[in-house]
Amino acid sequence: MARRSPVRVVGSRLLQALPVIVLATFMVFALLKLVPGDVAVTLAGDNASDARIAEIRHIYGLDRPFLVQYGVWLGKVVQGDLSQSLLTGEQVATSIGRAFPNTLLIVVIALILALLAGIPMGVIAAIKPNGWVDKAVSMIASLGVAIPGFWLAMILVAEISLRLNWLPATGAKSFTVSPIEAIRHAMLPGIAIAAYGMAEVARQLRGSLLEVLSSQYVRTLHAKGLSMSRILWQHGLKNVSVNLFTIVSLLVNRMLAATVVVEAVFAIPGLGSLIVRGAIQRDFPIVQGVVFTMVIVVILVNLITDLLCAAVDPRIEQ
Amino acid sequence: MTEMTRREAIALTSAAIAGVTIGGPAWAEAAPKRGGTLRISAPANPSSLDPATGGAGSDHAFLFTMYDTLIEWDFETLAPKPGLAESWKFTDPNTLVLDIRTGVTFHDGTPLDAEAVKFNLERNKTDQKSNIKADLVSVASVEVSGPMQVTLKLSAPDTALPLILSDRAGMMVSPAALKAAEGGTVARKPVGAGAYTFISWADGERIVVKRNEKYWKPNRPYPDGIEFAIIPELTTGARSVTAGQNDLIYQLPPRQKAILDRVSSVKVVHGPTLYVIQIFLNWAKPPFDNPKVRQAFNFAIDREAFVKAALAGLAEPAYMNLPKAHWAYDKSVAGLYPYDPDKARKLLAEAGFKDGLAIDLVGYPDQDSVQRQEILIEQLRKAGMNVRFANAPIAEASAAFFASEKRGSGLLAAWTGRPDPSLTYSLMFTKDAYFNAGRAPVPPELEAAIKESRASEDIELRRKAFATVQRLVMENAFVAPLAFQYELVAMNKKVQGYRPNLLGKPKYDDVWLES
Repeated sequence: MARRSPVRVVGSRLLQALPVIVLATFMVFALLKLVPGDVAVTLAGDNASDARIAEIRHIYGLDRPFLVQYGVWLGKVVQGDLSQSLLTGEQVATSIGRAFPNTLLIVVIALILALLAGIPMGVIAAIKPNGWVDKAVSMIASLGVAIPGFWLAMILVAEISLRLNWLPATGAKSFTVSPIEAIRHAMLPGIAIAAYGMAEVARQLRGSLLEVLSSQYVRTLHAKGLSMSRILWQHGLKNVSVNLFTIVSLLVNRMLAATVVVEAVFAIPGLGSLIVRGAIQRDFPIVQGVVFTMVIVVILVNLITDLLCAAVDPRIEQ
Repeated sequence: MTEMTRREAIALTSAAIAGVTIGGPAWAEAAPKRGGTLRISAPANPSSLDPATGGAGSDHAFLFTMYDTLIEWDFETLAPKPGLAESWKFTDPNTLVLDIRTGVTFHDGTPLDAEAVKFNLERNKTDQKSNIKADLVSVASVEVSGPMQVTLKLSAPDTALPLILSDRAGMMVSPAALKAAEGGTVARKPVGAGAYTFISWADGERIVVKRNEKYWKPNRPYPDGIEFAIIPELTTGARSVTAGQNDLIYQLPPRQKAILDRVSSVKVVHGPTLYVIQIFLNWAKPPFDNPKVRQAFNFAIDREAFVKAALAGLAEPAYMNLPKAHWAYDKSVAGLYPYDPDKARKLLAEAGFKDGLAIDLVGYPDQDSVQRQEILIEQLRKAGMNVRFANAPIAEASAAFFASEKRGSGLLAAWTGRPDPSLTYSLMFTKDAYFNAGRAPVPPELEAAIKESRASEDIELRRKAFATVQRLVMENAFVAPLAFQYELVAMNKKVQGYRPNLLGKPKYDDVWLES
């Protein structure tokens, strides 16, 4: 059972990621081009004639064949250049560099909150299945899954910012300039997204813990006289940690997607707002850049999850 | 401290003598104060901060702070008035002479003289990246006829030019900055001669400008600077004002008024604008190729009811493309299409659609648009027209309707006003205009009347020409105007001196902040 070195594992996984990146960005590019309407109309301005729009297409190379346009974009990416917004001329890397930390902070806060609330809920529900605690947890979890994030977000703004004035209603602050202000701004959007995550963690954890606790070796542990808490913390949770890591990695990906709506509600200039603006204006370098970033984040999250799973469970082969 | 006490005293006095007629409202006595940062929630990221290369009508709200125009307009009527050009004169129908104000400099110190004006006008007219070439199509050449005087030689009489120079084409950019700029545009590093100088622009996030200490208008601007937070979701933007994170938000939809009226810390200002919600018709294809159907369509719409139901009453019913307050408004045209479903049915029958008619229209999918569509569908149904809307995002729907696809017979959208009405009419109602979706011909007398409206400087003659234009457009029913939406601006109570304008693109000339 010779295990491959982690370095080689990471290397080969990253290599496998390349086709995924190309395929994902190509599909998004194709979708953008299939939808009628292009950035030339916006670029040409309010009074534009057909001739002017055609001229703009030519100036910006939008009249070149589809594959050539994609190829040019990809070629630049290989050289480390995400090109620039067709509309405003800002470097896409600059836009992403500014937007990404805002989104990341929300996702991190949401994840921490989801775990802080979800893990204890899952554990206490699993200890006495079908007891009233379990039922209460199930109900809260169902609510968490059922309540739309944007609705919760608006309720939070109305109550916590506008009425109680505890936290700011809109915008984001830079974490590097003022960490406390940044966290205050990201708190409400974080909570709005965390509700779903909490429910997911609690339900999944309860399910997998129940399975472990009803297995034969746990019965043996009981027979040996171990206390419930030792069984739970030393054996139970260790065995469900693989499931937990997987849930977390899925959650991160889902939460990234959820920021698109929540950022609109809180007027947070993050990746979600950026890709919405890019898509509406057909500013494809922006959309491509954000998709590219998201794909890389998702691949990295999955990779880290796999490595962590392998670290706690030697049976998992890379 | 004394300042505060004085204002409090004024407030108290005015409250005490409420009901007693005095010379004017007490708040008018409070002298404008310098200082403070005006924080504005803006609904859209600008397309560019270079007036020549940008495209969106929403850019002006930023551009006007950094760029001054050669000509300005009156807030209430949009009549032209001096700007960077202290006077202008048509010495003959083909020659326009502009006298430039002395002592004005751009933000980078470059003097604003006749050479700078010539440079700008020629760039706007000829530069490959310029989006406003068409605005200056009548200008044959620009000559420097004195250190502070330029003479525009025109290829045809064009009295719309002064007001054209109050818009993008008249925004003066520092020639030195343009020459030094990469790619020849100042899209991301604007240098103008306006009240504020540019500090920074983070796309989709924030634009910051600060007071131009050498601004030519005395004592202006009052605030130290403006910070625009770009918040596309208007409900969120309005919340940022009620929560006190921003001071002012413009371009609000009417439905926000009822919500904001309940917030005691916020005041709401509104006024008429040229922004008209209308249905563009494609009169090159059935059923709107038949003038009787177009007229029936116009008779079938109850505009008063539309304004009440769809716009919370915050609009003026539109029977043509100019609102009542405009200097070229013609009252007699407004009576052409009273709400008359029976007349509509009769016209349809004459057109051969006795049993009614199905009409496919294109629209936008946002909440306000869909609500408007529902009201229109019901109104038109009563007149025997079975209307269906196919909705798509603005860029897609607009391109599908106006460009080559020619989807649908009409588009429910809006026309943002132009400073000079001749632009509005020539951009929609001449044969090859982009906003004439079918590129179909119009009656020769209409084209002639549009030309006529640009031939004379005399305001009475122009008014007469526009009366003909408006009558011909509406008699032919080339469009179904619905309502002029009011400009709706909400601000917290320390913002003073804001006035709405008829163009509907906010200017902050006299705004100041109470501390």
